[in-house]
Amino acid sequence: MNDAQLDALLSRPLPELDTTHFSVAVMEAIARDAARPARVLGWIMVGVLAVVVALACVFGATLAGRDAMAGAPIAIPLALSTLVALLCLSVLQAARE
Amino acid sequence: MDESALVSQAANRDVAAFSALTRLHQSKVRGLLLRLTRGNHALADDLAQETFLQAWRSIAGFRGDSAFATWLYRIAYSRFLMHARKRKEEELGDWDGETPSGEGAVHARLDLERAFAHLSVAERAALTLCFALGLSNSEAAQTLDMPLGTLKSHVLRGREKLKTILGDPS
Repeated sequence: MNDAQLDALLSRPLPELDTTHFSVAVMEAIARDAARPARVLGWIMVGVLAVVVALACVFGATLAGRDAMAGAPIAIPLALSTLVALLCLSVLQAARE
Repeated sequence: MDESALVSQAANRDVAAFSALTRLHQSKVRGLLLRLTRGNHALADDLAQETFLQAWRSIAGFRGDSAFATWLYRIAYSRFLMHARKRKEEELGDWDGETPSGEGAVHARLDLERAFAHLSVAERAALTLCFALGLSNSEAAQTLDMPLGTLKSHVLRGREKLKTILGDPS
């Protein structure tokens, strides 16, 4: 192969690659990237909520004393856990949107 | 709409404009990365996706000193180098001395791609930018962040290797 042949071969344009799938993948990656700060914020809020509710539980139990919990030992923690779960879900849903 | 208008719209976070820019340049960026990764389609596309994501994040800082395509090639090359440093690119053994066979345009291209795999990263990048992507030597040197003289020597060495691998009758 001489110089002219090699130059001609090297100067051929690169083959055209399918654009559709790749462009869609890039746009999805951009959308995920844009949603990341909101997702991180959502998780932070979930953490803060969980800590606040746990502290409220401890505070409430301390004030009421053990006897007050004797009638319904599971009902109050269960209700609070459900409340936390609901709050977490709504925060995460908001972050996703 | 011309490219500079698309770039300024994309800099203002217009996703549709950036999507149009992606469609315009994706094939060449992927082609460059395909050469750099020695024909690894999946890796080339992953790196190309990272390239466009990085471009989207930093397009506001694009000052227009160079062509938009050149700026993209520069990001693509640096993404590839980062990947290669992380993964310690698997080196091919020395070329075994056999001349690739084949006739006609398709075979010539296949032979060329196989021959490219035996060049160093800098040689592959320099030859692809200067020939297939039509950059001037100074644009290619700027893209690869190397002095002009170094780029020229990569081009010369790469050409000589290709001639040897593809069979030089002289």
